[in-house]
Amino acid sequence: MQLEMVFLYLSAALAVGIPALATGWAQSRIGPAAAAALAEKPELTVTVVLLIAIPETLAILGFVIAVLILLQAGG
Amino acid sequence: MSRIRMLGPKEQLQSCLGCIQDVGLVQLIEPAATEVLRPLGLNIEQAHHLRSVRKVVEDVDTALELLGVTPEPPKAAEGFPLPKAALIAGRTRRQLEALAEQSQGLEEERALILKFRPFFSAFRKIGDSGLDLDGIRVFYLVLREDGEQELRRMRAALRQALGDGFELLNQPSESGESAMLLAVPTADAAKAEALLSEAGVQSLSLPDQFEGEGVSATIRRMQTRLDELPEALAALERERARVARERGRELAWIQASVRDHLATVEAMEKAVVTQRAFVLEGWVPKAAQRDLERRLGSSCGPGFEIETVSSEEWSGDTVPVVLNNPRLFRPFEAITKMMPLPKYGTVDPTPFVAVFFPMFFGIVLGDIGYGTILAAISLILRIRSQADTTLRSVSEIGLACSLFSIIFGFLYGELFGDLGHRIGLDPLIFNREEAFFPYLGFAVALGLVHIVVGLLLGAAKMFRGNKRRAIGKGMAAVMVVVIALALMAAFEMLPERFFTPLVITALVALPVLIIGEGILAPIEFVSTLGNVLSYARIMAVGTASVMMAVVANRMVGAFGSVVVGVLFALVFHLINFVLGVFSPTIHVLRLHYVEFFGKFYSPGGAQYRPFRHWSRRESASDERSE
Repeated sequence: MQLEMVFLYLSAALAVGIPALATGWAQSRIGPAAAAALAEKPELTVTVVLLIAIPETLAILGFVIAVLILLQAGG
Repeated sequence: MSRIRMLGPKEQLQSCLGCIQDVGLVQLIEPAATEVLRPLGLNIEQAHHLRSVRKVVEDVDTALELLGVTPEPPKAAEGFPLPKAALIAGRTRRQLEALAEQSQGLEEERALILKFRPFFSAFRKIGDSGLDLDGIRVFYLVLREDGEQELRRMRAALRQALGDGFELLNQPSESGESAMLLAVPTADAAKAEALLSEAGVQSLSLPDQFEGEGVSATIRRMQTRLDELPEALAALERERARVARERGRELAWIQASVRDHLATVEAMEKAVVTQRAFVLEGWVPKAAQRDLERRLGSSCGPGFEIETVSSEEWSGDTVPVVLNNPRLFRPFEAITKMMPLPKYGTVDPTPFVAVFFPMFFGIVLGDIGYGTILAAISLILRIRSQADTTLRSVSEIGLACSLFSIIFGFLYGELFGDLGHRIGLDPLIFNREEAFFPYLGFAVALGLVHIVVGLLLGAAKMFRGNKRRAIGKGMAAVMVVVIALALMAAFEMLPERFFTPLVITALVALPVLIIGEGILAPIEFVSTLGNVLSYARIMAVGTASVMMAVVANRMVGAFGSVVVGVLFALVFHLINFVLGVFSPTIHVLRLHYVEFFGKFYSPGGAQYRPFRHWSRRESASDERSE
């Protein structure tokens, strides 16, 4: 029973952790390119904000799944 | 928009243009020239005049930019006489450019001396060693910290090339690097330079005015110069401020007057003429057409006529776009305008943004305390901002968002997080700290509604052109709803008997979707379902916000001392408030631009720019929208 709980908590951590890392990696690639683009064309601000916000979906959906796993675990 | 044609006697063209500029409603375009109608063109004198006006505009714009201030021109001022304007603008521009050039020269000099400063004491010690500098060339060199070996190698190379005819002195500098001074006879300078460049040794070149003196004297002069430079720069700045004080307002007046005049001269180029008459064409908002006809009819005199060009004669692609919404929705045009404008004849999403944006924001922030602070900030911004500015729009959007935050704060029972529950404020719908599932369901259901509205708008837009695709788009909306209901039936939120009929409905709708939107429609439909799930971010960001507030409240009892705890809690609440405003704004904007607009929005509309009197604010907003 305890081992089962360990796996549940671990899977919840992985569910939010891995997408968060992936989001961070994606944003680390988008960020510098976006900053460079903004330096030349400040009118691209909206596009840049959107491009940076798009990978966050991964982390957010990961967070939702983690919450669902934790609720399943009764935590 | 209406396309209008204005006709009148040729000799009245200039005065009629003045009247059109006063009314400020017509965006002039060039009518097509025919055998009878030829472009007015400018004669040599007029072309020369146009060039002069453009030169004055360039001068005055540059001068004001160099001044760095934007004074308001005198109200209700008459036109500034052009010859005098040209004289003042040209003279002030030259004066300010000279000041800017001097200032830049001094800054560069200071930067160069500062480069030498870490080596001052090292070079001075070398210089004081009694080196005779007559007829020799001195190189000031810098070696890295670990340059001992490099130094030996260089000494050997120099000895091989120049024999004993050189002097190489070194001294550690304050920055840890080695300052070196190489003195060679002027005849061997080229050889030494080649050797240094081969060895990759960095040589500091002295500013021109310090060349040809002894090391100690040079450094002494550089130090003195470094002390003098701030005062010299301050004197230039004082001079610039004096010019700004004396000429600023006059320049602003000249700018408004000359730009106005330039607009009139450029408008003349858009006229076509016959032997006796002129023809002008332009766009005017339909709602303002009657008013325009009345005002021009009375001010342009006899012989002036306006007619409407029938819509068969123009194509929708060239029509400028003006967003026209009720007063309550108008601030939200700022959000629509952050994207390229919608094409003429397509849907303006502003009314939908005005409803959904503050509502989603409120659902995420959902706190009476934070909402009240946001309302106070927005109110202050509103009072301090001028009408029709972006700041005013932002403040009004902030007020709407804060209102929804307070309403949802009551519904969740939240006041600065769980402080509301502690003082007996009960949640009316659910408690966000515990009710993850209801909150998630609520967020996704809102997403469903938002996406279905987007799909229906897309279907309505397409209905005028491609009816088959419109039916496909409408069917996608139906399928999204049917699948959502089927899922509810599967999870027993609806009676189970609905499940089979709903699945059959979805299966029947699928071929209609494919016929309407093509073979790729199912893939697009799956991405639409993904779009609905994306609204889960409302729940995720909202939960993060409330949890941060709860953590902040728990800090009060966590540090032993109540005062320290309260201070930490306040700081944490402040951080949470900033994040709580920034994060929902970004995410809700994204939900609108990507998920919602993606279903129906057709960007590519041209901005409506009527021919009117010039004003700095409108010019700035035009530049921003470009």
